[in-house]
Amino acid sequence: MGQENFHYIGQHAPRKEDYRFLTGQGRYVDDVEVPGALHACFVRSPHAHARIKSIDPGLALKIDGVVAVFTGQDLAQWTTRQRMAPPIEGLQPMEMDALPIDKVRFQGDPVACVIACDRYVAEDAAELVQVDYELLPAVTDMWQAMAPGSPRVDDALPSNLLSHQQASFGDPSARKREAYRVVESTFSMHRQTHLPIETRGCVALWDAGRSHLTFHVGNQVPHPYRTTLAARLRLAESQVTIISQDVGGGFGQKIALYREELVVAAAARQLGQAVRWREDRMENLLASSQAREDFCRTRAAVDADGKLLGLELEIVEDFGAYSFYPGNYLARVVAMILTGPYKVQDYSYDVRVVLSNKVANGPMRAPMAITSWLMEGTLDAVARALGQDPLAVRRLNMLSAHEYPYSMATGEVLEDITPRQTLDAAVEAIDYDSFRRSQKASLAQSRYLGLGICTVVESTTYGSKFYKSAGIPGSGHEAAWIRIEPSGVVNASVGLGPTGQGYETSLSHAVAEGLGVPLTQVRVLLGNTDIAPYGMGSRGARGGTAGGGTLVLCARQAQSHVLAIARHQLGLAEDVPLRMLDARVQRKQEDDWQDTRLSLADIARQAYLDPTSLPAGMSPGLEFHQTYDPPPMTYSNSTHVCEVEVMAETGAVHIRRYVVAEDCGTVLSPVVVEGQQLGAIAMGLSGTLFEHVEYDANGQNLTGTLADYLVATACELPHIQILSMHTPNRRTPAGIKGMAEGGVMGAIGALSNAVADALAPLGVKVEKQPLTPMYLRALIRAATVSNKETA
Amino acid sequence: MKPAAFDYWRAESIEDALSQLASGEGEAKVLAGGQSLGPMLNMRLATPQRLIDLNDLSELAYIRDQGDTLEVGPLTRHHQLAQSPLLRRRCPLLARASQTIGHYAIRQRGTLGGSLAHADPAAQLPLVAVTLGAGLELQSARSRRTVPAQEFFVSAMNTSLAPDEIIRSVRFPAATEHEAEAFEIFSRRHGDFAIVAVACTLALRDERVMGIRLGVGGVHATPLNLSAHLQGFVGRQPNMAWISDVAQAVQDLANPAEDSRIPADYRQDLAGSLTRQALASALQRARGDAG
Amino acid sequence: MSETGLRELTLTVNGRNHAVRAQPRKLLADVLREDLRLTGTHVGCEHGVCGACTVLVDGQPLRSCLTYAVQMEGHEVSTIESVATKGRLSVLQQALHEAHGLQCGFCTPGIVMTFEAFLRQHPDPSEAEVREALAGNLCRCTGYQGIVLAILRAAQQMRTEP
Repeated sequence: MGQENFHYIGQHAPRKEDYRFLTGQGRYVDDVEVPGALHACFVRSPHAHARIKSIDPGLALKIDGVVAVFTGQDLAQWTTRQRMAPPIEGLQPMEMDALPIDKVRFQGDPVACVIACDRYVAEDAAELVQVDYELLPAVTDMWQAMAPGSPRVDDALPSNLLSHQQASFGDPSARKREAYRVVESTFSMHRQTHLPIETRGCVALWDAGRSHLTFHVGNQVPHPYRTTLAARLRLAESQVTIISQDVGGGFGQKIALYREELVVAAAARQLGQAVRWREDRMENLLASSQAREDFCRTRAAVDADGKLLGLELEIVEDFGAYSFYPGNYLARVVAMILTGPYKVQDYSYDVRVVLSNKVANGPMRAPMAITSWLMEGTLDAVARALGQDPLAVRRLNMLSAHEYPYSMATGEVLEDITPRQTLDAAVEAIDYDSFRRSQKASLAQSRYLGLGICTVVESTTYGSKFYKSAGIPGSGHEAAWIRIEPSGVVNASVGLGPTGQGYETSLSHAVAEGLGVPLTQVRVLLGNTDIAPYGMGSRGARGGTAGGGTLVLCARQAQSHVLAIARHQLGLAEDVPLRMLDARVQRKQEDDWQDTRLSLADIARQAYLDPTSLPAGMSPGLEFHQTYDPPPMTYSNSTHVCEVEVMAETGAVHIRRYVVAEDCGTVLSPVVVEGQQLGAIAMGLSGTLFEHVEYDANGQNLTGTLADYLVATACELPHIQILSMHTPNRRTPAGIKGMAEGGVMGAIGALSNAVADALAPLGVKVEKQPLTPMYLRALIRAATVSNKETA
Repeated sequence: MKPAAFDYWRAESIEDALSQLASGEGEAKVLAGGQSLGPMLNMRLATPQRLIDLNDLSELAYIRDQGDTLEVGPLTRHHQLAQSPLLRRRCPLLARASQTIGHYAIRQRGTLGGSLAHADPAAQLPLVAVTLGAGLELQSARSRRTVPAQEFFVSAMNTSLAPDEIIRSVRFPAATEHEAEAFEIFSRRHGDFAIVAVACTLALRDERVMGIRLGVGGVHATPLNLSAHLQGFVGRQPNMAWISDVAQAVQDLANPAEDSRIPADYRQDLAGSLTRQALASALQRARGDAG
Repeated sequence: MSETGLRELTLTVNGRNHAVRAQPRKLLADVLREDLRLTGTHVGCEHGVCGACTVLVDGQPLRSCLTYAVQMEGHEVSTIESVATKGRLSVLQQALHEAHGLQCGFCTPGIVMTFEAFLRQHPDPSEAEVREALAGNLCRCTGYQGIVLAILRAAQQMRTEP
């Protein structure tokens, strides 16, 4: 199925926002010029866990150019505490100060803020702030964290167990008893961090005359962020404006209000002077936000053919030291969507989330990333246990087209997805049978080639009903306005927060389609809360469905209104079909659409400057407003296939081929979607091979520079082949589904499964990430020794 | 990540630089390419009071044919070493190793002297210097002395360079006739510092090994020159068994320290594996099979 | 403002001379951004890995986070702002646009500067050579594929249209 029904949606047009980025004229937070702004620099704990006994800023204050040093005690007077306590069973409430007062909980936890004339001086001063710490034992391992008597990260909680959720559907225990085999697998994913190339930062301008805070910050959710910031500062929402113009990547790191940002805002208000903060890369690696540290176990009850009878999942997640996001949420999504495109109704999960003395977790592009590795890795393990072909096992268990809509055991409903088609397309493109032959031939020469398959069902847009049934407060709706100017150009806005995903382009396609105007006639305004309507912002993959969907609806509303004016002007009966195309009013004569004498500009002029000539009862002007709540959940799907060679002598992994067959429904901008898919896959591959936030047993972060926290460069990533199909969602405007994160999920699964496939002949089980050469070499070595012994 | 304050002196001549280093008012550090020192300054891992910039001293960037040796100036940039037709002809191991340093942008700036003075245990240029038995000429305001590369590297990131000395020149032995070279490196990503690296030269005549030099980086606090230990393999035919034997010998001699992030046996395995690769490459070149 | 050790410098940037007062330790990147208000050069790591801060000095790429402004007297610095002429994108910039070689744009100026120099020195690079040179610039958005395609296309165009 294609996208031939649209005029503007799906058009292959290059991006509209590129010029300023290519010429260095973007406006990122640190580019905003504020003469006389002071600079903030945070004093951070060198210890993973310690009581703060005293803070003496005396020496720091003596430095020329230092204006103030603020501590947690100061901030407590100017801000409210944060309470993270959604009413969810099994979730412990947590409270956090703007800056710690009693104790620090991770290496890098901010304890004081130096404000000075420039960053250089501020860093000099920060070194001189004397903090007296009483060291406490640190807990740095999820198992240690759950052990009785372990050091408590949050003294207000009875233990380090932040959240425990369990659910059971059908009778998985009975299925295990009946099964031909129960295949158990474990999966350990390592701690990672988002690493946007632009670090965090903000500029706070307090206008005392107006009692108004203008806050420049790169953020994905400008309006919810504003609501939170205002509340923490005890201001009314209308006293705060958030401006987030150009942002150098977010990936989930730029959503919730950070303590540093709150401190900067409070400091500006106190000092009556603009204050700015520019996070450096060490801080970003040591103290911003981290993700993905999960240990999982699956038990698959299967029959002799490999058909799934029942499935059990356990997750333990290391959540870090604070709760800036609800502790239950990220891991729970994994549990809810695990079974993906596979048919199994007897299912249970047990999810535990624990605190540790590490940076607090936050959602990182595809927070549910481990899901596809879990499910597809489990099926591979089943195949190996039974001596079956992994592709056959997948096809045996995968839902067929006639089985949709399908209610997963957890209640999630799947419809309008095409995993069988993407699976077929991907394995055909990689020439599966031919690969298996060359794999066998290579093995005879002691070369280890592997192929990994990973089908992803990506939850993209979360409607309000999803949050409600999951017990999570909050809405999934989005808001838009469209204003057609007297000259006929179109301004549009929506509550999303752009961080590089090309909204100015993709959303222009949405407006153009709904209204009937060329892409070039549309201007999309984003990121300023005084301009944009109140929407929930950008997270997951909601930009397409929630943002694009709302704009399509709003634009259709606008077109309808404009055509009513045209009809009146042209004196045409109600039954004469009219439409707008390329900003011209057209009427249908027999089977043909013909231009009338009216353009959008004509109608706009009339609506603004000659309103008495409008149809009776119609108001002047052309401004439209719309909100939209998407279905509880929409899904996209894709199948990723990856071919690797593992070098036995060094443990190095070479990716030889990578193919993805995707079905993202209606695609607003194919250019943008291709870029998103490539970027998501890159992040998944990079994470699986290289990226690792490492803490030692004392809670010291060993990966505080880019020489230690490794991320893939152009030399490490393969060429990626994308095959696209488009099955629309029947419930959303224009059938949009959204996408952005499935690539991460698929890459992690496909690569991991490929490496496991390559090493399976050695009897090696690959159960953890990252897939470093050292880890793989150790597995190969042990297996080689063991195989020699049993030979 | 802003550096602590320092005074800056832009040397106008070698004598000027040396006199600044000798003046002794607070710790001074020499600034060449800045690719290694820059990050340390920005992270405040180094806080010298004075920085002495040598970049104007173009007279320190040169490659000269001195007959038996090639004399290279300390300010010669990595890309110049990598691309020099003279080096490719007369000291190809040095050229080849330089090609593997970092990536394009780093090679435009980084210098021979900077890399040697930085003394990273896995770096290419210290390894080549030690393997070939290069001589480093060190100069201060008061003296000039020559130190063999092996003695120059004392321990990880630590050399015998005195606080008032600079590396004035480095002499590399020229390649002999019938000699071919190889440089093999294993790193996490292309251009990263090596985990282990192997540098070797092989002299081959009538299918007999007439000479072998081999050094390993990354298995010891300083580059490990194993040439003397491998002389027993000279005079033989370089067949597969020979390669295997040499690699095993290297692996046995490597003896790296245990490390929580990279196990010793991993480095040891790599030493053997890279030796096999290096010998195979060198043989191919010696036989004229490959470029 | 601390006066300690401030130097009077004359910097030649994008063909113009500028008088700047700065401490020796002030990074070239910071002087460009703050003193000269040329904010197109971005700071991503301050330890020479990400390449976002790359500028050209005497035509060669250089990480402006590993260079102190005081070192630049007597040299010619070119920043991203000098590449497009009178609003007209260079061949490379246009190629990046057409091949979707940028998303958030933060790494883009560093890549443009690196390759404006690289392509002058290597007019006919292989894909492997392009990727090797690109390894000095980190991008978190694109997966590099569009960037590589753009560079190869630009090289081809520059070879056929002198």
